[in-house]
Amino acid sequence: MKTKPNILLIDDDELYLYLMEKTIKQLSNELVVSTFTDGEQAVEYIERCTEDNIELPEVIFLDINMPFLDGWGFLNEFKKLKPKIINSINIYMVSSSMREIDVKRASNFEELTGYVIKPVTKVELAEIFEKIYHENW
Amino acid sequence: MFIGLYVPLFALTLFLYHSQKAEQIDAIMERQIRANTMKKVSFEEKYLSFLRNIQYWANLKYPKNFDPLAEHSSFLNSYLELIEYITIYDQFRFIDLEGKEFFRAQRVGNDTLIINPLQDKNQHTYVKAGLQLKKNQIYLSQISLNKENGKIEIPHKPVMRAVAPIFDIDENQIGLVVINFKMKKMLDQIKSRVEEKNIYLLDENFKVITASTIEEDLPYESENKNSYLDGILNTKAITHFRDSTFVENGHIWSQQSINLNGKTFTFGSQSNLPTEVVTQANLLLALEVPPRVVEAELLPLFRSLFMFNIFAIAGLLILCYVFQKKKIEKEQFYKELEGKNILLTRSKDKLEENNKKVKKINNSLEIRNKQLSDFNYLISHNLRSPVTSMSVIVEMIQNEKNPEVQQQLLPKLNQVATSITHLTEDINDYVSILDNKELKIDNIDLENLVEEIKHEFTETLFEYSGFKVLLDLKTWKNISYSKFYLQSIIHNFISNAIKYKRSDVEAYIEFESAIENDQKVLYVRDNGIGLDLDRHGESVFKLYKRFHRNVSGKGMGLFLVKSQLEALNATITIDSKVGIGTTFKIIF
Repeated sequence: MKTKPNILLIDDDELYLYLMEKTIKQLSNELVVSTFTDGEQAVEYIERCTEDNIELPEVIFLDINMPFLDGWGFLNEFKKLKPKIINSINIYMVSSSMREIDVKRASNFEELTGYVIKPVTKVELAEIFEKIYHENW
Repeated sequence: MFIGLYVPLFALTLFLYHSQKAEQIDAIMERQIRANTMKKVSFEEKYLSFLRNIQYWANLKYPKNFDPLAEHSSFLNSYLELIEYITIYDQFRFIDLEGKEFFRAQRVGNDTLIINPLQDKNQHTYVKAGLQLKKNQIYLSQISLNKENGKIEIPHKPVMRAVAPIFDIDENQIGLVVINFKMKKMLDQIKSRVEEKNIYLLDENFKVITASTIEEDLPYESENKNSYLDGILNTKAITHFRDSTFVENGHIWSQQSINLNGKTFTFGSQSNLPTEVVTQANLLLALEVPPRVVEAELLPLFRSLFMFNIFAIAGLLILCYVFQKKKIEKEQFYKELEGKNILLTRSKDKLEENNKKVKKINNSLEIRNKQLSDFNYLISHNLRSPVTSMSVIVEMIQNEKNPEVQQQLLPKLNQVATSITHLTEDINDYVSILDNKELKIDNIDLENLVEEIKHEFTETLFEYSGFKVLLDLKTWKNISYSKFYLQSIIHNFISNAIKYKRSDVEAYIEFESAIENDQKVLYVRDNGIGLDLDRHGESVFKLYKRFHRNVSGKGMGLFLVKSQLEALNATITIDSKVGIGTTFKIIF
């Protein structure tokens, strides 16, 4: 039996984290949500996962603007870790605006699966999960 | 310039004039010599005829005890008839060995010869000289005015006496034959002018016998004051009896001597003995071309050279004028060009200045643009997230039937409100920087300012508190800036340096002034914990960026520092190493 689908939320807005977590829970109880308030902590977590052989999250929602290590910084660190990661991880950039520079910059990261705008609605989330987990969520 | 060009030309003219003149004079001389020679030849021919005449009489065989007046008058009569027609005979005489005349015929009028009373001539030079003659010798006297009884005959009659010894049939000398030749005609012939030349016939003492300039012949005999050479010829050059041609004081002289003494002639058949001439009468024929004539001869040359010079001067003057005019025009042109150049340089300088200004404005506009765009982002991004959160919460509350859960959601709205409040406060701070159009600029003493600010931090108050503020402001310490901003900037630097100091070293912050590329530069250096620029480099000056988890702060400090610097066209860069320290470089 496969373990429950794992989702990672990275955002410095705690209220946003709370609301996202709540929305996801409303969609399915099968999904396990972990949250981090900055990129640095998230990188450390992923490092720990690869070292300790803990199962990695399948989906990451990544904010751009964060203290200590922002979304771009996280992506750079993630690139370095990638060789150690076996399974595929879908990373979604989450931003409150569709600023052209950010969109363009995002397109340069092949690690990214998508780019979504806040607020992420229940419907959008459902579509994303559908795509990744198919019927298994 | 004109003189410089004309002098060589003039020199050439002079040279030409002189060489041409010499040539002309040579030509004149040649002609003169020719003329003189012709005169001499004709003169000598005349004398030769005189010699032939006297020789004829000398060669006659006279009867013994020759008495022409009585016994032998018939002998002579036939000859006298002949003589009558030889009009140049003025007197025809026989003189005996004592010097007394024993026959004397004298011309009266032009063609009558009369037998005259006899005279004793033994004191006369020609008689004495004649009596010295041997056979076949002929004496010729100098040309002189005829005197009768010691007085000069009037009208003047220039004569030349030819004397020869006569012999009887037994070859015994019976006396002398003396013929006075009339010289008037001959002298007139000699002094007839040739091409305006003056002609002089001089005796051995350079006395004038005849001259084209004097009507009288032998003027010295009639006590004419101008009888001597000095008075008449104005030359001291003719002092020798020799042939020569020379120029003196503009006069051209040509002289040829006629010296008959010792000359021999053979008359009749070749078998006759030659006749020898004995005479003290040497003659000198001188031809003078007066300056007037020389000048007249040279006039065309002079005139042509003069005309040449006139044209040359005119030509040169025109040339000089044109050259000078061109020069002036050229100078004018260059002057104008220089003026234009100066104007161009000036406008170029102005343009460059304007360019600089435009560049500066452009730069500040770019910065402002960036700031505005940042501001735009700040609003759209940072404000949007709480707003969207709020809308999500509201929606959740609406959809939630469970009052318990609704209760849980309500305080979240409060959280949103707080974050919006904080955000608006921060935006306010930023906007005040962006909008501060008329900042008060002061001349700030940086040293004093830092001293003031450092006292706001308790960490700097005591030596042992473990933080030092160092100053190295040798290069400059005064700067024109907004005091309020600079206070805020320095406050932030000191604050950051204290916050991020390393506990294992004696922490400090140092302000060092410098000048680089003519711009004031301030280095702010600390030995704090430093920053990984590889990771955070691009975010250092951004809003809400924090890099150290265990230190308080909301990520505004360096964002505001940068904004405040850029508001007054200053720039800031960072260099940092983790565990060593951070250096900010501010270029004002």
